[in-house]
Amino acid sequence: MAKTIIDAHNLSKTYNADTVPVKAVQDVHIHIEEGEFVALVGPSGSGKSTLLNMIGGLDEPTSGSVVLDQVEITKLPENKLIDFRLHNIGFVFQSYNLIPVLTAKENVGFVLQLQKIPKEEREKRVLNLLHQVGLEDKLNSRPGELSGGQQQRVAVARALASKPKIVLADEPTANLDSKSTANLLDIMAKLNKEEKTTFLFSTHDIRVIQKARRVITLVDGKVESDVQQTPK
Amino acid sequence: MMLLKLAWLNIWRNKRRTIITTTSVFFAVLLAVTTRSMTDGVYENMIHNIVGYSSGYLQIHQYGYWDEQSIDNTFEENGELNQKLLKNPKVKNIMPRLNTFALASYSEKTKGVLVLGIDPIKEKEVNNLDQKISKGTYLESENENAIVLGEGLAAQLKLSVNDSLVLLGQGYHASSAAAKFKVKGIIKLGSPDLNNNIVYIPLRQAQYMYGAENRLTAISILTDKNTNLEKLKVSLQGLLDSDRYEVMTWKEMIPEMDQFIEADSTGQYIIIGVLYFLISFGLFGTLLMMIFERKHELGILIAIGMKKHLLALILMLESIMIALIGCLTGVLGGMLVVTWFNKNPIHFTGELKEIYENYGIESIMYFSNSANIFVVQTLIVLILAIVLAFYPGYTVMKLKPIDAINS
Ligand SMILES: Nc1ncnc2c1ncn2[C@@H]1O[C@H](COP(=O)(O)OP(=O)(O)OP(=O)(O)O)[C@@H](O)[C@H]1O
Ligand SMILES: [Mg+2]
Repeated sequence: MAKTIIDAHNLSKTYNADTVPVKAVQDVHIHIEEGEFVALVGPSGSGKSTLLNMIGGLDEPTSGSVVLDQVEITKLPENKLIDFRLHNIGFVFQSYNLIPVLTAKENVGFVLQLQKIPKEEREKRVLNLLHQVGLEDKLNSRPGELSGGQQQRVAVARALASKPKIVLADEPTANLDSKSTANLLDIMAKLNKEEKTTFLFSTHDIRVIQKARRVITLVDGKVESDVQQTPK
Repeated sequence: MMLLKLAWLNIWRNKRRTIITTTSVFFAVLLAVTTRSMTDGVYENMIHNIVGYSSGYLQIHQYGYWDEQSIDNTFEENGELNQKLLKNPKVKNIMPRLNTFALASYSEKTKGVLVLGIDPIKEKEVNNLDQKISKGTYLESENENAIVLGEGLAAQLKLSVNDSLVLLGQGYHASSAAAKFKVKGIIKLGSPDLNNNIVYIPLRQAQYMYGAENRLTAISILTDKNTNLEKLKVSLQGLLDSDRYEVMTWKEMIPEMDQFIEADSTGQYIIIGVLYFLISFGLFGTLLMMIFERKHELGILIAIGMKKHLLALILMLESIMIALIGCLTGVLGGMLVVTWFNKNPIHFTGELKEIYENYGIESIMYFSNSANIFVVQTLIVLILAIVLAFYPGYTVMKLKPIDAINS
């Protein structure tokens, strides 16, 4: 039996509680198992980003808890939480994910340096990842010299560098054209299979939704549907 | 290593801004270093001229002499003591002296004078005393029965070369001291005080007159312009029997001059302070802009697992790097300016030249190249850079990753 990797309990987030309260996420339960490839969808303002940020420990819930791989991250003190993220979660944001002064290789290697992984091992892993995302010829390019799609591929490679259990991606393809979108999704699906990494990503894009094996739909901060599907 | 590299790369993200900021630091440091060097040079030269002809940089006395400056508080010349002193590498020369007071009279005029028993040969070598002679000639030996006196004093007594001056004083152990000397030369000294009161007598003659054979009031010690006198004083005190001898610096012996220099420097410190205050604003503005522009990126870094204190450290390194680039080039520039002026000294002209020469000080502007100046300015800038970096560091520490990423 697969093990539970993401477990959100009664998760709620209310913004501006003391003025005009906005219930961005309301009483959400989500249960995701190791190796799943999940799309989080819903209309704009439905709470996708808020939910992802709470699951990733970037934002604090108003109530409820998040347990990742048996660690209740909503209870961790700040530095422990940062360390937990370093070792267990890879992030891909919508855009400008990378450190502009570092090359593709250095950006991917950065997390490994933070983990104090020895140089040789680091080098091997970075080259392997950049190869997997098809950027072996852009190793020494800085983000400014890469296209949006290439930058997102580097970001995916970086998210996977530390061999995290979970990759959280908030609209990773929002700024990409359809070709780059398909390409990025294929890479994510491949890494999901090969590295057994769990992926949870939000999107508006119907072609991206089709690639997922499970689709969770949020409406007004609540889970409206949660379905398994065969990816196309 | 990674942090240093990242900080270095970061400061060059906005080349123009970094160059403007470092340039402002550069000019501030250059200005501070050269003005400090110039005034310190002027002070050093002034001290050298005034102190050199009177007390010397340091003096050794019989213990208790300074509080009661009587001929009875003299000590015996001592070859062993001299050897000990000269062994210290900072001690460039020592000069035996017998300083005392006397009444000087010529025809109907009588005046209290300062009597300096000196070794004329040494004073010539060390102080070029012979070059200050304005009329007549300089003394030739320790034994010569002749004197040289200050121009002002000669004018007051209305006497000139080849006249005879009678000196009357209190000798060793209450003996009476009286002698008559031929005036061999008249000397023009920088300090009006000295000029109006001083009589130089060859040391042996002075000792003989005061009945204080082989006795000295002081050994005057000569050293380089930029020697640390307090340190030298302590090391000399270590050499000597502290019950028998006291060691004093010119600052203790001529406190007025020290106070004058202190007061004069204060104005300058204020100007330099304002200068640094202004560049602090520039540097601070740059730091603020740096974190403001990079909030999103800082948020991403915290999200992917970088601890906040490391980020704060990077910002501090950036601040230090910007400041140090400006500071080190400023110091280097300052050194070049100072070296150049030391090779090609500025000669004062016109009124300023006259004033200087009236005081018996060479009319040349010296620049001090004491390492102290450069080190102090570097430290000030370094500390400024660190202190200013606390604010961006604090901002990072309370940054919420999600707010930063969304900004
Ligand atoms: N910092 C905030 N302060 C106040 N309200 C906020 C804040 N962030 C989000 N909200 C509100 O919370 C609700 C959910 O926002 P969220 O960004 O999670 O939606 P989303 O599903 O990601 O939308 P989109 O698809 O447009 O990205 C929205 O009504 C939004 O206005
Ligand atoms: Mg969103």
